[in-house]
Amino acid sequence: MNVAGLRARAHVVRALHEGLWAEGFLELHPPVLVDGPALEENLEALRAHDGFLHTSPEFSLKRALAGGLPRIYAITPCFRGEEQGPHHATEFTLLELYLQNANYLDLITIVEALVIRAAVAVGASVPAFTRTTVGALFGGEIPEEDDEFYRRWIDEIEPRLLTPTWVLDFPQRHAALAELRGGVAERVELYLSGLELANGFSELGDAEELRQRFMYSAEVRRSRGRDPHPTDEGVLQATARLPRSAGIAVGVDRLVMALTGIRDIEDVRLPR
Amino acid sequence: MAYQTSDFRNGLKVETEGAPYTIVYFQFVKPGKGTAFTRTKLKNLLTGAQIERTYRSGEILEEADVEEQPMQFLYEQQAVYTFMNTETFEQVEIQGAVLGDDAKFLMENLEVSVLFYKGRAVNVTLPNFIESKVAWTEPAVKGNTSNNITKSCKLECGAEIQVPIFVKEGELLKVDTRDGGSYVSRL
Repeated sequence: MNVAGLRARAHVVRALHEGLWAEGFLELHPPVLVDGPALEENLEALRAHDGFLHTSPEFSLKRALAGGLPRIYAITPCFRGEEQGPHHATEFTLLELYLQNANYLDLITIVEALVIRAAVAVGASVPAFTRTTVGALFGGEIPEEDDEFYRRWIDEIEPRLLTPTWVLDFPQRHAALAELRGGVAERVELYLSGLELANGFSELGDAEELRQRFMYSAEVRRSRGRDPHPTDEGVLQATARLPRSAGIAVGVDRLVMALTGIRDIEDVRLPR
Repeated sequence: MAYQTSDFRNGLKVETEGAPYTIVYFQFVKPGKGTAFTRTKLKNLLTGAQIERTYRSGEILEEADVEEQPMQFLYEQQAVYTFMNTETFEQVEIQGAVLGDDAKFLMENLEVSVLFYKGRAVNVTLPNFIESKVAWTEPAVKGNTSNNITKSCKLECGAEIQVPIFVKEGELLKVDTRDGGSYVSRL
């Protein structure tokens, strides 16, 4: 058990709560046991009882957002199977926040303030953030094929993202749940101390497009011999009612790691 | 026997690109929305050279056909060295080229570890330290404390090393084999 890691974690989480309340975000407690785990062809949700353990609170929070709560967040355990390593744990903690009348650029402002607040809380140096785009990182030639895209991302690009960097504007095929603008997905990721820390979107507001993406994701999973994740009708209905919104997920364990220099995720969590 | 990326461990011996490698580093990597990979550093068991490779989750590597056997040195004849397996008593002949410079440390009954790749001896690992008697060394010159703090010395095993000037012929020395032979102590 790493006492320093646990102590830093407590201060970081407190700073996040304080920062979010100061910005008018309401804390919600989403269910961990859900019917539809995620729209993710590359995540393995764990089955539990009559459903799944959520891989993120995304769908629950979107329903709340569409249901009349304009600024919300949750700090919650999430579960992803087949992920194990110094930067991955089957159970980990995500902060997710959503707000109406905002886009992905607004998320950057909010999360930067939260990260700075957390850095101050643990006595870490305050990060100076920069911005770039996926296109710029690939030198203008974004690989079409998924395997090459991720292989080069891992081998060439990620190792260069050592300073606090926002990566904006993903190609359409990597849009996930992001809104498209001129063929580019309004999706943003944050890297801090070389760790992929956050992923956010201008939220897709087109329910029909979302249904298409569910079907595509299911198709990809089937082609790999995996069970498709069920299409979440609730989130489709919520999307149809959603005003212009943005949302982002921040890895809380990794945020603690990035701010303290602790290298193993197990050292910022209570042991199982 | 084949290994999936989820089986990767440090020290695992795998066959890739026509050579046996041992995994010296591995890390699971996965962009949040992307596919999973395992990043590795592999050390070539024949040359010692290190390479970096990234494997997609689920990719398979064959187990390297390598085996380490504890062996004892018996004798040398015309640069062919004969060893005996200390468990099975089977004998094997190893060419001098495989041993390289390490041959000079071989003494009768010295216990070593021999690496076999596809049934062929490809590497011999000596113990970190050996003990050998001084066969010849210059006598210490009284009063010579000025420049030379070491002198040449030939050991009974055949190696020539540098020793402190107080070392005498017939003394038993402890020698480190890992750096080509450095004096450790008298015994």
